[in-house]
Amino acid sequence: QTVLRSSDTHPDGYPTVEAVKHFGELLSEKTGDRYSVEVFHSAQLGEEKDTIEQTQFGVIDLNRISIGAFGTQVPAATVTQLPYIFRSADHMHAVLDGPIGEEILAAFDAVDVVALAYYDGGARSFYNSEKPINSPADMAGMKLRVMQSDIFVDMVAAFGGNATPMPYGEVYSGIQTGVIDGAENNYPSYDTAGHAEVAKFYSLDEHLMVPEVLVISKVVWDGLTPEDQVLFREAAKESVARQRELWAAKEVESKAAVEALGAQINTVDKQPFIDAMKPVYEKYVTDPKLQDLVARIQATE
Amino acid sequence: MRDRLLSISRGLGLLSNLALWLAGLGLVTMTVVVAYQVFMRFVINASPAWTESGSIMIMTWFIFLGAAVGVRENFHMGFDVLLYVLPPGAKPWLRGISDVFVFGFAFGMVFYGGELVIRYWSTRIPVLGLPTSFTYLPIVTSGVLMCLFSLERLVLRLAGEPVDEIAAEPTITEA
Amino acid sequence: MEYWILFGVFTLLMLIGTPIAYCLGIASFATIVYLGRPAIVVFQQLNSGVSAFSLLAIPFFIFAGDLMMRGGIAARIISFASAVVGHVRGGLGQVNIAASTLFGGISGSAVAEAAAVGGIMIPQMKARGYGADYAVNVTSMAALIALLLPPSHNMIIYSLSGGGNISIADLFTAGIIPGLLLALALSITAYVVAVKRGYPTETFPGFRKAGYFFIVSIPGLMLIAIIFGGVRSGIFTATESSCIAVIYALLVTLLVYRSLSWKAFIHSVLGAVRTTAMVLFIIGAAASFAWLMAYLKVATHLTAGIAAISSDPLLVLLMINIVLLLLGTFMDMGPLIIITTPIFLPIVKAFGIDPVHFGVIMILNLGIGLNTPPLGPVQFVAAAVGKISVWEAMKSVWPFYVAGLVVLGLVTYIPALSLWLPSVFR
Ligand code: NA
Ligand code: NA
Repeated sequence: QTVLRSSDTHPDGYPTVEAVKHFGELLSEKTGDRYSVEVFHSAQLGEEKDTIEQTQFGVIDLNRISIGAFGTQVPAATVTQLPYIFRSADHMHAVLDGPIGEEILAAFDAVDVVALAYYDGGARSFYNSEKPINSPADMAGMKLRVMQSDIFVDMVAAFGGNATPMPYGEVYSGIQTGVIDGAENNYPSYDTAGHAEVAKFYSLDEHLMVPEVLVISKVVWDGLTPEDQVLFREAAKESVARQRELWAAKEVESKAAVEALGAQINTVDKQPFIDAMKPVYEKYVTDPKLQDLVARIQATE
Repeated sequence: MRDRLLSISRGLGLLSNLALWLAGLGLVTMTVVVAYQVFMRFVINASPAWTESGSIMIMTWFIFLGAAVGVRENFHMGFDVLLYVLPPGAKPWLRGISDVFVFGFAFGMVFYGGELVIRYWSTRIPVLGLPTSFTYLPIVTSGVLMCLFSLERLVLRLAGEPVDEIAAEPTITEA
Repeated sequence: MEYWILFGVFTLLMLIGTPIAYCLGIASFATIVYLGRPAIVVFQQLNSGVSAFSLLAIPFFIFAGDLMMRGGIAARIISFASAVVGHVRGGLGQVNIAASTLFGGISGSAVAEAAAVGGIMIPQMKARGYGADYAVNVTSMAALIALLLPPSHNMIIYSLSGGGNISIADLFTAGIIPGLLLALALSITAYVVAVKRGYPTETFPGFRKAGYFFIVSIPGLMLIAIIFGGVRSGIFTATESSCIAVIYALLVTLLVYRSLSWKAFIHSVLGAVRTTAMVLFIIGAAASFAWLMAYLKVATHLTAGIAAISSDPLLVLLMINIVLLLLGTFMDMGPLIIITTPIFLPIVKAFGIDPVHFGVIMILNLGIGLNTPPLGPVQFVAAAVGKISVWEAMKSVWPFYVAGLVVLGLVTYIPALSLWLPSVFR
């Protein structure tokens, strides 16, 4: 039996971790126990940037990764990191489950990994310790921590905010002492990182819905028989339903948890936010191929 | 022969000092960058996005340059347990074997670090915009210097020079 | 077999006297080659192990400490402190611990703390006739106070590793009493050892003189207020405060005391580079080693046995403490918290032990591991500043280990030490 080692930055029990375990069970079933999967959760083998490289070199076999961690390495996948590219979770699922989703998965071949399936990473929204954000104007001058990515930095700038670099581990005390006013993330991370304790205002602008991908090292993939490759893809696709279920449940649970901590959640009219993103789209979607891809995503029902 | 060796050694000494001074410049630059980050965020409220990854990049450079200098100046920390037990004559042997291992690992830094540099030339470090290879170049540079310095120690020891008797922290020779 | 290669190669090279960083790197390399996986990961980890913003605090605090030392700030503070507590036997040991407690309220990194306090105190202690080993051991053990007193990024790592449902605010509050308890225990130990070794007792210079020492040391003492106030009021982060310390030390020595020559400045820079490079190169190589340990699930295998044998919560905690102490000798704190929390936490919870209480136990336990060879980063820093080998420090560290272990025992078996304060604030 071949044990495949898979990396995940999230802790044990997190929807993505459980989904990859489920993928392993399905794979064992389908291959008559010739393959199984062992998940190294909690970033034991490194942060996403490191484990992507390890997967590319074939040091580890599988990896559950946020597409955001690939940055602009995979141009077609960059579009999923554009603010407000997906209108809702349903819209995102419709796009990813269709031909566009397949097209983006295939684009990962160029960076020496084979992308097998998408998992949900939820919608990311801003939270801060000052006031509810209802319009981009409310973010004027706010110091907000975002992930180290050109798109996200430009996004905050376009809203009039001040994108402030800070290691993730320092965000809690950063908000508590007032070095920064807030940050952005999905419900589960807002909850588990404890940020709800210090940043009470969570404003559902849902600016990013960056999907997660399950990738397998090209080194490993090329060593599989074509029949097994089919089984791997099947198992991965089948694990998606379980992950989406777990994710939805996790969001409900986390929402209740942050509300219990006293978080004040407000919905926003997204249109002014979307309008403010014009310059960001103009800067990052210059290639006609990408422009076409964006148009097709927007046209998907 | 001996004079030739010693003149090469002096050249390597200059190289080592150059690396040390570059590393020192890196520390000073890093101080300025982080101070600038605090100033821009707190006073101007316009945080530059590049300062975090920029300062980390500078730090990796001066760490690896400094670590190479450490091979020549012999300030890397180890346990000398066996030296307490074995007769004094064993010292050059143990030090020689160690230097061979240092050379081997340093060669690995050049070889595998080089592979990383070549591999990630076309990807970019977010926000900084530099090739990802710049993250791995310090390993290669440091590896090359470590190879030279460990070889120097090996050769000088064979030639009977007292390489193991030099103080762990020599006083700095200001240029 | 792969365990034998990993630990065998490491031990063998260490015995030969190969520098620790290379022992770690080569053992990792040998193991990954044996496993038939690409060895490139060793060198990737060598780099990513040192690519963290929080590590900036190490060079900065070393640099600042060196500047304060050469620029006379430290000397003035020590003059004041020894005027006040110098009449206690081994007064500078007491000053060291008091300073560590103050700095511990600003920084969460024991390594940075050893660099900051040790950078000032160790040379002064040596100059006043204290044994370098004594100075190093007081510094390295007192540095652990920083882990327990808030802020402590390791407690955040613990909370995240435990699934994120453990309140960070509670953890921070829970560490305060154990942190002060550790300070007290070390203070007593330092006194006893000082008496035994006959370290100097300075005569009280009189209130006039003490007052003068106080006034001239104000610019230096202000640094603590500036760092503390700056972090608390959100001007800069704990990591950034290390850079502010450098800037402030430069301003005071250049403008107020006018005591820093260009030559001394260069010495400071190059000295800080040397110490930093030595320490961080080990940390980078340790990242490769830790990666291999995670890959081979060493911690999992070592700890899996516990659940099988245990029955009594007191026994479980004892066993877990022993396992953590053993792991802590070889591994760094962060990776160990990440790897062992998900394994131990369900076990201790099943025995009715509070996760916040367990967090404090784990932080203190693994903190002690930062002072145990072969992998003891705090000890390495202190020894490097003291210019002695870890071997020399180890010979006389035992009373301080005992103090740490006694506090660990108290914290383990008296939950109220951790849990009372959070319950007051809740
Ligand atoms: Na602290
Ligand atoms: Na240790």
